[in-house]
Amino acid sequence: MTKSITIYSTPTCVYCRAAKDFFKEHNITYTEYNVAADSERVKEMVEKSGQMGVPVIVITDEDGKEEVVIGFNKPKLEELLSIA
Amino acid sequence: MFDLIIIGASAAGVSAAMYAKRRNIHFLIISENIGGEVATSGEIENYLGFTHTDGIELSGKFKEQLKYHGIEVKEGNVEIIEQRDNFFIIQGKQNGSSLELETKVVLIATGVHPRELSVTGEKEFRNKGLSYCTVCDGPLFKDKIVATIGGGNSGLESVLMLAQIASQCYLIQLGERLKGDEVLIEKVKNSPKIQIIYNARTKEIFGDTFVRGIRYEDTKSGGIKEIRVDGIFVHIGMVPNSSFIDLVEKNEFKEIKVNSLCQTSVPGIFAAGDVTDIPYKQISIAAGQGACAALAVVDYLNKLRV
Repeated sequence: MTKSITIYSTPTCVYCRAAKDFFKEHNITYTEYNVAADSERVKEMVEKSGQMGVPVIVITDEDGKEEVVIGFNKPKLEELLSIA
Repeated sequence: MFDLIIIGASAAGVSAAMYAKRRNIHFLIISENIGGEVATSGEIENYLGFTHTDGIELSGKFKEQLKYHGIEVKEGNVEIIEQRDNFFIIQGKQNGSSLELETKVVLIATGVHPRELSVTGEKEFRNKGLSYCTVCDGPLFKDKIVATIGGGNSGLESVLMLAQIASQCYLIQLGERLKGDEVLIEKVKNSPKIQIIYNARTKEIFGDTFVRGIRYEDTKSGGIKEIRVDGIFVHIGMVPNSSFIDLVEKNEFKEIKVNSLCQTSVPGIFAAGDVTDIPYKQISIAAGQGACAALAVVDYLNKLRV
């Protein structure tokens, strides 16, 4: 099952960097939206997560169902991405 | 049983870990993250060896150096330290499951966390327009109206960063004067985008789904005033991460008291960095204390063996 991953981040956010390092470490491709530069994406992020902290990571499965992870929640990401 | 467990992996903890490794101590370093408050700092221009860096880059360098020395940081949270006859038991959590470890010596390098205002609405609006980290969340407020609460160096740096991003900035100061470095105060006063509000005691953060504004008391007139803002950044000082341990003596600010060898009031427990009662909280100082503590631990362990 291939899931698609999107991360809403800002350039100065250390937990965003940690999340991206985590994806790279596990060879996971992701799409990144820089919410510092794009206010439409800010709105989108806020709608999906109900809050304004970064990172917000959205994992969408093949059926289009979205799981929203707020912050670099490593155990939750490992569970959703089936990483040991 | 470990010879040493280091709790915390920012400047003090990582410095100590390197020295411990090079002295072949059987040790573990455990922390919630690598970098702590350093990682969420903005620009850094006064750390030895670096003309200019920032929190992300510098904490990245800490990670590189740990890797180079073959030191792995155990990700976890320490909740309790218990003393036995001649060792300590550390209890905590790692990824939701419980952790229990035994060690001869403990080095506490847990640092500090941002102080809260303790006003109505603060908890409710956290991450809904209220933040304690301008570096992290400031960029989300492009062209909005924001306020920084706190007129020390962190607050001044915060409002200066926000002035590059937001349409309008307020700086809210409790007293009559701003408290940070003159260089920063000058820049703030010269910025057309920043309005300083003095003698203001924050009373309430209000809004609906997200922050809408701040209510504060004008301490000169006694009246309650309001400003409409989209974002609030709180920079009113730091609180030591020392509540998990009662064994050691602390000062009135709950900082752990140490001597020049980083020894606490309990033999076998050492502390280094911002969590201690050292009056100056700087990355350089924490790194230095970490090294000193590690070497003092080595001497202590050698004496135990005799």
